[in-house]
Parts: sequence; structure tokens; C-alpha cells
Amino acid sequence: MDHENSPDSLSRTLADWQVQPPRSPQFRAAVWARLEQVRRPADWPAFARAHARALGGALALALVIGAWVGREQARARVEADRALIASAYVHDMDARLMRLP
Amino acid sequence: MRNWWLSLLVVLAAGAASFGVFYALNDDAELRRAARDGDAMAWLRAEFHLSDEQFAAIRQLHDDYALVCTRHCRAIINARQRQAPAGEIATLEQVCVDAMTEHFRRVASLMPAGEGERYLAIVLPRIANYEHVGAPSVQVTP
Repeated sequence: MDHENSPDSLSRTLADWQVQPPRSPQFRAAVWARLEQVRRPADWPAFARAHARALGGALALALVIGAWVGREQARARVEADRALIASAYVHDMDARLMRLP
Repeated sequence: MRNWWLSLLVVLAAGAASFGVFYALNDDAELRRAARDGDAMAWLRAEFHLSDEQFAAIRQLHDDYALVCTRHCRAIINARQRQAPAGEIATLEQVCVDAMTEHFRRVASLMPAGEGERYLAIVLPRIANYEHVGAPSVQVTP
């Protein structure tokens, strides 16, 4: 009988076998990082931090465009109202435009 | 994907807030109220920063000028009704223009420094831009 291939020999080998993986000092940190990564999609502040440059640029652009459009629209409206009331004011005193009482 | 939509919402909200703030900062509520109500005196007061004394004096000038204006108005309309020569009508209209210009200059002289010039720059071109045809309140039927 072949001693090398006997069931006893296999059992003994398995009993003696010890796995000794190399210790990784980053193991815990890596596990937590992976957990964070899984959790991240539901967390907008973390998403914003991850895309800070793109989001910051878009925000700055939105602020500038909003400010410019707001200023121009208000000024245009004020100018239109000014033209309207000024014309009415002058016409009210213009005898060339008046009706008979 | 949800975070991208949320980000878009935040960006749009920031733009809208910026629009609102700058619109409010550049708006002139008093002027718009005066225009909406057709209140020219309120417009003068707000637009040219008149004190109470200046406003009262200008109002008095306007009241006095209303009598002058009515005389000119009658003369012009009478001339049109009797189909007076064009030269006569033109002369009467020129009298009206001169009186109005003089009146506006008096009003301007009562305004704060700098505002009088701005007032004249707004009103005088509107005398010059007068047109017979299509003016809304003209009554020229003979």
C-alpha cells in the first residue's frame, strides 16, 4: 500500500497544514475604505467632496450667470418704466397733444 | 445618478438665488410703482431725489403751467378746427414748445445739483420727438 496516498497521510497533512498569510498593516483601513465606497452613492456631501472641482465650477458659473441676468433684467425693466412714465409726463404737458375739455 | 440630479438642483437653486438678489438690488420699486399708477409727480420725486421743499415748489410750477398749457391747447385746437393756415398752426405749436422748454428748465433749476441736467436729458428729447400722426390723444378732426 502506498503510504504517501493513504487517507491517514492526507489527514495528517491537513492537520499539520497552517496558512500563514503575510500581515497587511493596511488591511483594516482598506476594509473601511471599501465600506465607505459602497456607502458613498447615498451620501451627497461625500459625493460633492469627491466632485468638488466640477461642482464648484458649476456653482460659480450659475452664480455669475444668475447675477448678470438678474441685473440686466431689472435694469431693462426700470428703463422701460422710466421711458413710459417720462413720455406720459411730457405728453401731459404738451398742448399739441391735448384734447378739448 | 441621484447625486447628479441633486447637484443639478443645487446649481440651479444657486443661480436662481443669485438672479433674485441681483434683480432686487438693481430694481427701483418706487419708479415702477409710479409708472404703474401713472403718477408722474411720484416719479419726479423718486427719480430725482427731491426734498419736500423742492417737491412742493415743483408741484406749484406744474400747477401754474397747467393754466398756460390749457391756453396753448385751446389756441392750437381752435386753429385746427377752423383749418387755419399751416404757418399759423406751426407758430402756435412753436409757442407751445418754447413754453414747455422754458417750464422744464425752471423745474430743472429747482432740482438738486446734477439731477436737473439728468431731468432735462430725459424730457427735452421727448418734446423734439413729437409727431402729429398717431399720437394717442390728438384730436385733429375739423
